Amino acid sequence: MLFKNYRLYIILSFACIVGYVWLLLNLLHIRTVQGTHACLIKTIMNIPCPSCGATRSILLLFQGEFLKALMINPIGIIVAGIMLITPFWICFDILTKQKTLMNFYLQIEIYLKKAFIAIPLVILILLNWSWNIIKEL
Amino acid sequence: MDAQKVDMFIMTNSKYFEAYHLNTIRERLLAIDDSKWAILSTMQFHEPTTSLIVSILAGSLGIDRFMIGDTGLGVGKLLTCGGLGIWAIIDWFMIQKAAREKNMQKIQQILY
Repeated sequence: MLFKNYRLYIILSFACIVGYVWLLLNLLHIRTVQGTHACLIKTIMNIPCPSCGATRSILLLFQGEFLKALMINPIGIIVAGIMLITPFWICFDILTKQKTLMNFYLQIEIYLKKAFIAIPLVILILLNWSWNIIKEL
Repeated sequence: MDAQKVDMFIMTNSKYFEAYHLNTIRERLLAIDDSKWAILSTMQFHEPTTSLIVSILAGSLGIDRFMIGDTGLGVGKLLTCGGLGIWAIIDWFMIQKAAREKNMQKIQQILY
């Protein structure tokens, strides 16, 4: 039961570490195999997925080019926000022995399941996807 | 609850649960009273095979996770190209177990 209670924190910490390592690898232009993509859809079908370009967007954001980042992929800004906030939030919860992040996550899950929120978000993702395909990211 | 009813429920719904769940469910069903039978027999469970098919076809978009009710993880998968493609592949093997665990959580709300 203990593992189940803290599973969210373990997953999020792991995701943050992998995310920052991935950003560092891209920043230093280290690629293992040339011509391959991390994205399965892009590798198999040769069209970008809704979140392709997020890495480029975040790297531009860190250079202060907000508008360019937005033009490449708006999802990058959301991901950058999550990546910045989550480590501090996890540390806060560990230090104060509270579960604020867990409660927030459960609340968000309930809201996202409601049709009047879910449907507009799905439409936005589809629009972003078609924009990505047009831009040929 | 009647042993015959319980065994019938277990036989028809065993594919929705992990093998190690079945004994607990059976014991618990035998202990509770008959009034829960109507809700129990009309309950809808997540189909593990369907989630596997969705995971293979659209796992990178996180649709498999959305389907079994893990909205938060689904969003995470969607925003990161299926966890850089690695999480999407891991989920081909994990999603059936995750669906069965979700079914167990669902039935637990009635059993306890």
